[in-house]
Amino acid sequence: MRQVRVCILQSDGTNCDNELFYAFKKAGGIPQFVHVNELRDKSKSLKDFDILALPGGFSYGDDVTSGKIWAIELISFLRKEIEDFRKKEGLIIGICNGFQVLVRTGLLPFGELGVMDTTLAPNDSGHFECRWIKLKLEKSKCVFLQESGPVGYFSVNHGEGKFFANNETIKTMEQSGLVVFRYVDANGNPTQKYPDNPNGSLNAIAGVSDPTGRILGLMPHPEKFVDTTQYPNWRRESIDKPHGLFIFEDMVNYVKEEKV
Amino acid sequence: MLRRVKKDEKMIQTVRVKNIKRKGDIEVAKVYRLEGISEGDARRLAEKVFCESLIQTYTLNEPILNVHLRGEGNAATKLHLGGVIEIAYKPGVMNPEVASIMKASEDLGIKLVAADSSHEYGFLKPLSKDVLRDLFNPMVEYIVTEEPKTLLIKGTPGKTKIIRFRRMSDSELLELSKDKLFLNLEEMKVIQNYFQKIKRDPTDLELETLAQTWSEHCAHKTFKAKLVVDGKVKEPLFTRIKKEALKYNKNIVSAFVDNAGAMDFYDGWAINGKAETHNAPSAIEPYGGTMTGSGGGFRDVVATGQGAKVLMSADIFCLAPPDLPIDKLPTGTLPPDYILKRVVAAIRDYDNRVGIPTNNGSFHFHEDFRAKPIVLIGAYGMLPKAKAKKGEPEIGDIGVVIGGRTGRDGIHGATFSSGEMSERTMEVNATAVQIGNAIEEKRVFDAILKARDQDLIRAVQDLGAGGFSSAIGEMGVKLGVTIHLEKAPVKYQGLAPWEIFLSESQERMLIILHPKNLKRFYQICKKYNVEATEIARFDGSKRLQVFYGKEKVGGLEMKFLYGGLPQRVMKAIHPRGVHSATSGVTEGLPRGEPKKENEWIELLEKTLSSGDVNSKEPILRQYDHTVQGTNALSPFAGVGMDGPNDAAVIRPLPDKPYGMVVSHGLNPKLTSADPYWGTIWSGAEAISNYVAVGGDYKNASLINNYIWPFPDEEWLGRLDAAVDGVVDFMKALKIPVISGKDSLSATYRGSDGTVIYSPPTVCISIFGKIPDVKKTVSSDFKKVGSTIFLVGRNIHLRGEGKVATKLHLEGVPRVDLKLLPKVLDVMHKAIVSGKVLSCHDVSEGGLITSVFEMCVGGNVGAKIFTSEVKEMLQKNHTSEVYDFLFAETAGCFIVEVENETVAKRLFAGVPFKILGKTTEEEKLSVDGLFSIDVALLQKAWSKPMKEIFS
Repeated sequence: MRQVRVCILQSDGTNCDNELFYAFKKAGGIPQFVHVNELRDKSKSLKDFDILALPGGFSYGDDVTSGKIWAIELISFLRKEIEDFRKKEGLIIGICNGFQVLVRTGLLPFGELGVMDTTLAPNDSGHFECRWIKLKLEKSKCVFLQESGPVGYFSVNHGEGKFFANNETIKTMEQSGLVVFRYVDANGNPTQKYPDNPNGSLNAIAGVSDPTGRILGLMPHPEKFVDTTQYPNWRRESIDKPHGLFIFEDMVNYVKEEKV
Repeated sequence: MLRRVKKDEKMIQTVRVKNIKRKGDIEVAKVYRLEGISEGDARRLAEKVFCESLIQTYTLNEPILNVHLRGEGNAATKLHLGGVIEIAYKPGVMNPEVASIMKASEDLGIKLVAADSSHEYGFLKPLSKDVLRDLFNPMVEYIVTEEPKTLLIKGTPGKTKIIRFRRMSDSELLELSKDKLFLNLEEMKVIQNYFQKIKRDPTDLELETLAQTWSEHCAHKTFKAKLVVDGKVKEPLFTRIKKEALKYNKNIVSAFVDNAGAMDFYDGWAINGKAETHNAPSAIEPYGGTMTGSGGGFRDVVATGQGAKVLMSADIFCLAPPDLPIDKLPTGTLPPDYILKRVVAAIRDYDNRVGIPTNNGSFHFHEDFRAKPIVLIGAYGMLPKAKAKKGEPEIGDIGVVIGGRTGRDGIHGATFSSGEMSERTMEVNATAVQIGNAIEEKRVFDAILKARDQDLIRAVQDLGAGGFSSAIGEMGVKLGVTIHLEKAPVKYQGLAPWEIFLSESQERMLIILHPKNLKRFYQICKKYNVEATEIARFDGSKRLQVFYGKEKVGGLEMKFLYGGLPQRVMKAIHPRGVHSATSGVTEGLPRGEPKKENEWIELLEKTLSSGDVNSKEPILRQYDHTVQGTNALSPFAGVGMDGPNDAAVIRPLPDKPYGMVVSHGLNPKLTSADPYWGTIWSGAEAISNYVAVGGDYKNASLINNYIWPFPDEEWLGRLDAAVDGVVDFMKALKIPVISGKDSLSATYRGSDGTVIYSPPTVCISIFGKIPDVKKTVSSDFKKVGSTIFLVGRNIHLRGEGKVATKLHLEGVPRVDLKLLPKVLDVMHKAIVSGKVLSCHDVSEGGLITSVFEMCVGGNVGAKIFTSEVKEMLQKNHTSEVYDFLFAETAGCFIVEVENETVAKRLFAGVPFKILGKTTEEEKLSVDGLFSIDVALLQKAWSKPMKEIFS
């Protein structure tokens, strides 16, 4: 079977790259670290990858606004590279800071490089939040995540994660099935209540897709729960399968099936 | 080429950004100053970079905050009447954001000459002065009263001065030493003799270099001194620790010789650890001080051998209680609630950014920390065992400085932290404080690990205290080294050579390598955006030779620099009896032993809400403890993820089950009361935390840190006793100390004669290995109807803890060092067997506090019905019951096991007894005394920190 090559893109301040690498590896992919400078100097190219993954962290210190400086770099220098990658139907995932970058490039939610229609604003709590929350997977455009329903616990680790847009934009997103994940309460219902909704995201939106369904971004960290022992309550709950693993498996399998 | 600016155009364009929606009574705007670009480009930057139009608006060269009173009146008037205040970093203090602004601008094709960012605050209604205090630290920031004309700091390089030193009188020598060199007269005279002998006067750089190398901070003069204790000669403290430690060397990879101690792990890996204080800078600027403390701790781990990866940090703070009345604060010190908030913000903003999980730590409150708090950073990492030792430099090897640039910041840090603090400290030593740049640190680490894995590195050295002087000097002790300071990249012009040499600017490291590896090393640095510059060559001269261009600015024999410091002979008096530490922490607790149910409950609630015991969850939720994905035991777990655990368990290799366990223990009140038994208690607490989660104490290493008042004879006597405690602790457990540090300047002297000694404190940190992280436990009760046991002997002797107000001090609980290893061994085996459902050690707040915390995690209740309590009650011995429940004993455990039969098998050979059972009804009850909802207790326990941090 064909190998699924995953580009784990790094910048100054990327710090969730190792666990993302491991998650893709565990899911059957072939991950490789690529520093953004290696794309800029053309020593590496997205052409050689099936999946582009933007990890969490604090790219360039989250200076000015989270993900902004990296987004500008991508738009300025790698516009063509990214457009080509999308044309050949690669998959893209951005987690936490990676999601912030995708939103600030405009790739999410409407897939338009350089046009920002939504944002990830500072958490309502006013500070960084490190906690485990519950997510629900919606039926959405996302091509590789198709099953909906409650999906379990995820770690959130961010200070700027409040999904925000004007009413119209939110409505459009909802109608076109661009909302992939929502924060839910103990009963599995989308919630605006803190801390189940850790940042005050509108419509409890935690993760979104672009209209092609090939780009996914989310604030919570599925890559931090691909082994049982990464979850704080593995000693008291029975875990059939680590809750975050399916995302990476589904991505890898989707590529495999599509490219057969 | 710089753009030519038209005459009528502004040199600096100012963009102001604010959120459309406002919260509260203070309006905030971010200010960006951009030098050397056109208005059009500034607008482009505003729209593309600075302002998110969905939620923000901006102005260009116009005010943005609609508050009257602008420009007029001072800060206080503005606060009072409403107005705008702009607060910016002082020129010369590194603003980490600037590099990112420059980068984004360059990526957009806009060439900036310089940039800065700051904040404007608009006060919409009269506010108290405290508001300003929280927004503004005059150490590193200033209130901008007029628009800067340029953001560039200009200056011509300072000259090297010759100090007329040889003919100085004793009083002149002392005057020179005071506030600057911090050496004593004997040491000054040794230096004078040396220069008399070589027949020349020293340069300022040479004197500064000697003062730094011989500072207490770098030379540990007290720990290496010959001691005369009560008239009897004793071996130096350091020798005693080292001698005992090296007896237990089965796991030691490197001890006492490198920036961090390293021990064996699995599959060819070693783990390393270091704990270090950053008290002096944190006392005057807690945010910057703590950040740079973290930065230094991490760099110590990375600068072990040929480079290590940082796996986690553990942050320990000893502060004055946050509600301490302001009139109790001595002149020149900061309010404790401010310090508390700022140290937490520092860990959040630094550790989270570097990507180091903070999953262990603690807070300790005592009034006497009001002048000099303790900020103790523990950092842990891993590296290939084969690269765990530094290579010896060879002639021709190169020293490359990488990372941050050198500025005036941090000058005199090493000498400053060795001195006592006074109210002048804030004024004189302002340069000792700086702000950390986490991302610089991160990329430096990324580059080092890459270079290490390509076998390019001979040795990595941290540029911390003492800067180039210390790092390059130490590496060149044997061979000698030539340094060219003019090559060092600087933040701004105007530094004198000695300032470059001594600067402690953060996020710089020194890499020693063979010249053939230089090109590849530079390539790696370039990839990670790390500046790298060759600055030194190891030359075989056996001298430290320092040049600035062609000018020789220093030349000292290594033999004198590193061997000329006379060993001190220090007298000490052993403490007699226990020394009672005064503490205001426990004021307001009920007087007299509780009798009625509500009195017991009140006592319990007060204990649970007291500073050392209350829940720190609101703080931990701001620290990233899951980054790197290695956490196998969270700081908090349980149904509501709110039950605190005793130690951290890390799984550093993702596809392997191996674990690193990290814990610590300290109790400033007990080490104050009795340095020896207080130290034993601290060690016992640390190892109990370690074992309570499943750690194997036989495969653990210790780190010892001493934070002590300036050592006069009496304080030195107490320090001597504390070191004896550490040595006896090693002996009892047969495990070594492999790293540590002393900070002997925890004294404050005010001009009005006020002297405040911070409580002398010994912190024992422990790290070690276990083969399988699955064989560990958390503290949350797992089941209803299981049996709760006390394993080990709790000591019915109360310390000066949370409950001892009315009773005078009865002494420190004396942990039985013969019994301790047996209990630890039995506990460890029990946990590995999988039969232990949950476990929590007993410490601050006593046994009842531990049981309560286990209830919180498990969302169950507990019923305590021991025969012991029954008997005591029958005899009307309430005080014994009180001790039984609240005594702050160490070295014993609360354990949840299915039933008694299982317990008998597990705990055979050590003392254990049934305490009670877990119950479905969520009440905590002690038979015959009280019964109360866990939820009510939890409210009291959670409230204090929630109020401060939400």
